Amino acid sequence: MAKLLDKQRYKCALAAMQTVQAITRAIPILHSGPGCAQKLSDGIGSSGYFSPNIFPCTSINEKDVVFGGVKKLDSTIENALKVIDADLYVVLTGCIPEIVGDDVGETVSHYEDAEKPVIFASTAGFKGNNYRGHEQVINAITEQLLEPSEEKEEGLVNIWADVPYQDLFWLGNYRELAKLVEELGLKPNVIFGYGNGIENIKKIPKAQFNLLVSPWVSLTNVKKLEQKLGTPYLYIPTLPVGAFETSRFLRTVGEFAGVDSEKVERIISEHEKYYYYLIERYADLFLETRVMAKQFSVIGDAQYTLGITKFLVNDLGLIPAQQFITDDTPKQYREAIKAEFENLNYGLKAEAVFETDSYKIHEAVKAHDYHGYPLILGGYYDKEVTNELDGHFLNITWPVQDKVVLDESYVGYQGGIKLIEDIYSVAVQRWN
Amino acid sequence: MYKIAVASSDGINIDRTFGATEYFTIYEVSENDCRELEKREYISDTKAVSENCGSGCNKGCGSGTGCGGGADKKVELISDCRCVVCTKIGFNIQKQLERRAISAFDVGCTVAEALEKITDYYAKIDSHTSLRK
Repeated sequence: MAKLLDKQRYKCALAAMQTVQAITRAIPILHSGPGCAQKLSDGIGSSGYFSPNIFPCTSINEKDVVFGGVKKLDSTIENALKVIDADLYVVLTGCIPEIVGDDVGETVSHYEDAEKPVIFASTAGFKGNNYRGHEQVINAITEQLLEPSEEKEEGLVNIWADVPYQDLFWLGNYRELAKLVEELGLKPNVIFGYGNGIENIKKIPKAQFNLLVSPWVSLTNVKKLEQKLGTPYLYIPTLPVGAFETSRFLRTVGEFAGVDSEKVERIISEHEKYYYYLIERYADLFLETRVMAKQFSVIGDAQYTLGITKFLVNDLGLIPAQQFITDDTPKQYREAIKAEFENLNYGLKAEAVFETDSYKIHEAVKAHDYHGYPLILGGYYDKEVTNELDGHFLNITWPVQDKVVLDESYVGYQGGIKLIEDIYSVAVQRWN
Repeated sequence: MYKIAVASSDGINIDRTFGATEYFTIYEVSENDCRELEKREYISDTKAVSENCGSGCNKGCGSGTGCGGGADKKVELISDCRCVVCTKIGFNIQKQLERRAISAFDVGCTVAEALEKITDYYAKIDSHTSLRK
């Protein structure tokens, strides 16, 4: 029987156009029906040199379904190269051309000798969601643009983490991760965000290692990079939010990169001093008031659900209720992610539930006894149910409707403090 | 069973625009057969157009302006067809066809190729089979 999926938290793989957009001066060329880019470019913060409204698109119609759309694609690429000044063109296919069997690879191969690189990634909607689409784009870059490099740059580290735009905080998070890596005396290399573009892509093969900060997204990418370029990778599943995880992050990266451990400890200690100074000053709020919820649920992609659950338990001492992972995590990663949720301080364990249907999530939230006000960190879809339960709600994952984020971040020591501020700002409103 | 209108001067290649063609060759497609049914000629009647048009364009038919003159008559001529195949077609005429649920395919290939692809396409969507290749 047909199944209805209520309020899912991701988009189709073609939304990987946002991954391309995050690379400075890179532009997607869409081989899709008209309106795809419009539908996929939700929210704010996507205007600029290139915005979804000007992405070249073949706007295929019935004729192209019957007769094939490669001619139109060919002319669209040709003219995009003429009129758009970009550093990298990434052809993305929607579901229609892939169903009818357009040979996009062949068409794109006509542009091998073009002045600017033209590559393609298969991002048909039926192949998965935009988390998979993001991986497809990075794989396309690896396969079609990068060549192994003899020359390695000492201390150069490629960082792979957030899915741009899908995660509201992607820019801030990448910048904060880069900053932390830099403090260790290493040279971070990120291909997304301010000032990061084709030059950073060219540097990828020279890196000492790839650093992946994500429970599962991009795991296939770093494996492919290892296979093709021989670059080893360090896989850190937990997004470091707050002191506990960030210190662990610095130690792990430092050890992997061969940074002197005394130096690492010195950096950690400096950060922690300031972090706990802040916590101490507000201990009255954290300990003496009874406004904060005792139990919480995070509803979001694996990255945030895991990172924030660890932070709220390990740093703030809250008790985890069920945690909901909404990104349709591929089955092969689920066991490992579940195990991470059971590895919390104070012998606590959290139950991770993989669920893409918001209706079922909301029913589970309603059925649970949070022993007081529930604290729900999730997407905008979860606001209403939290209000019904008279709980505290913070919108941290897609879709985001009630806040504007420019370059804020929840990563690192500073990110932990920011998250505490945001959570308690919601909580204190109960009195005032 | 449905009909396809084709704009071709020699019956081999699709070589006429919607506006320029003097006649349409009508093919009738049944479950396992596709045969030429008839030719439908379009007789230009400039006088009638300028009287009926009302928009005062006075250009007559097929100017691509979709003023409601000759173009309208041409649409009328193939109103029982499921689609029309020609080398090019104006936006406004396409809209008129859309209103009658007639698809337009502007392609430059042989009549045989066009008929094969179109009948294959309709056969699949009519039987709810995937177009996946």
